[in-house]
Amino acid sequence: MSSKSTIYSFLILGLAVTLLLIVAPVVYAISLSFYRMDSFVGTPEWAGLDNYARVLSQWEFWRALINGFVYSLGTIVFQVVLGIGFALVLNQVFPGRNLVRGLSILPYLLPTVVVVLTFKWMVDGSIGVLTNVIAALGLPPVYWFESPGAAMASVILVSVWMWTPFVTTTFLAALQTVPTSLYEAAKVDGTTAIQRFFHITLPMLKPILTVIVLLRAVWMFNKFDVIWLLTQGGPVGSTEHLAILSYRTAFSLFDIGGGAAIATISFAILSVAVFIYFRMFPLDTE
Amino acid sequence: MVRSLPGRLALYIAALVIAVYSAFPIYWMVLSSLRAPDVLLTSTSLIPGPFTTEYYWNLLELTDYPTQFVNSVIVAAVTVVVTMVFSVMIAYAVTRHRVPGKRLIIGAMLYAYMFPPLLIAIPMFSIFAKLGLGDTLASVIVSHLTLTLPLGVWFLWGFFKSMPFELEEAAMVDGCTRLGAFLRVVLPLSLPGLITVAIFSFLLSWTDYTYALIMIGSDANKTVPVGLASMIGSFDLRWGEIMAGSTLIALPLFGAFALLSQYFIQGLGAGAVKG
Repeated sequence: MSSKSTIYSFLILGLAVTLLLIVAPVVYAISLSFYRMDSFVGTPEWAGLDNYARVLSQWEFWRALINGFVYSLGTIVFQVVLGIGFALVLNQVFPGRNLVRGLSILPYLLPTVVVVLTFKWMVDGSIGVLTNVIAALGLPPVYWFESPGAAMASVILVSVWMWTPFVTTTFLAALQTVPTSLYEAAKVDGTTAIQRFFHITLPMLKPILTVIVLLRAVWMFNKFDVIWLLTQGGPVGSTEHLAILSYRTAFSLFDIGGGAAIATISFAILSVAVFIYFRMFPLDTE
Repeated sequence: MVRSLPGRLALYIAALVIAVYSAFPIYWMVLSSLRAPDVLLTSTSLIPGPFTTEYYWNLLELTDYPTQFVNSVIVAAVTVVVTMVFSVMIAYAVTRHRVPGKRLIIGAMLYAYMFPPLLIAIPMFSIFAKLGLGDTLASVIVSHLTLTLPLGVWFLWGFFKSMPFELEEAAMVDGCTRLGAFLRVVLPLSLPGLITVAIFSFLLSWTDYTYALIMIGSDANKTVPVGLASMIGSFDLRWGEIMAGSTLIALPLFGAFALLSQYFIQGLGAGAVKG
């Protein structure tokens, strides 16, 4: 086989796989959003923009959209602040540093199911260890999933615990790239550690921080499993975001066109974020 | 850096807080899975014991857990192998030749990173149902590939870009074919990259709940995350067994991390990440 034909056969294979696994499902999903279909094996019926009109006229849709923004924003703020804080601590020299660094990554490795089940066990009614800690501190009992506000807070808390390590680890790696001479010079000038963080570390790491926030924003907006497992979108829809609404619409109400329309709308919203990403970090394919 | 005593104390306390915050739930999960049933629901002692292994035996003998564990192993293993084979070929072709369609592949791969899960799951479920392949492990594997392939191509693309072309050219001057140079020179040198891709594909596939929930209906075909989650729906909550099941899914991940943490951290830094 000649050099060119090897490369081309690899490439054709690549294109075929991309088309089959990525392009085709998306095209199919978008096209389903223009059809009426009440069974996954049924024949789709052309519906034009009906699905969109119906979805957009439901207030559940707007609630889900707002919930999605609240959830993503809440989780991102805490992840980034905590992650940066952890990274700054773990960047210092102290005995056992490698052990603490390793431990700080563990939550990220766990399957969502494990995290959710363990959390539910820890806060269980009267027997959970956290329930007992809260009682021992003399605090009023917390009803984690009962009220809309508490449910959203619980969902955010668990998500932050799981995904902070991503920020910690990437930020910690980025910290190594800041030349120490900058800090030395600033120290000679009599600056405080806080001043050095805001005037050297943060500006130097702004690009990596932008990537982290953008990627995390997209992923948190897409997150399905953690909310579904914790609250199934409840109570009374207070934690239901677009992914859950889309799942419920397609797989419980069997309004497949409607579910596809919601997924397509989320896709359009995310495409804005992806567009910004590509503008800021153009693909360097050469 | 020389620090004052209060400064050092604050640092140690902060480090301790991070360690406890990150590890305590995991410690509590393992401890609960081994605590004897008569005290499990009453004791909040942080010291492990009294010990029992009965939850593990119940799980293995009385539930679908072993079958589901095997399902998870099959799904993750096939996903990892297919991802590695295809992503290495695609990434290699894309970096080594000026060809049309290259931007489409790389752009689509990065884009696919950010797809809403339902955008893939709804059409996939429908396609597999129509093909008569609904509720099969194959459908779960294919849906996992939509996550892991983009990740593999994206990561290896970055990896191959930084590998000098002269390496294969030298081998080809010495009489190797392109394929020979690829297999004998490029592949062995990309081992660290391949390991990273394998780790992250495994992690994505092994921990996935969303796609398996949608694709699988029957208990016998469930993967462990979905099987375990359905235990919490049943009317008597068997916390001991649930924590034992959780520990068993988490163990392979911790084992792999302990052995391969440098690849894992390198992958996180280079953008080979799970959402």
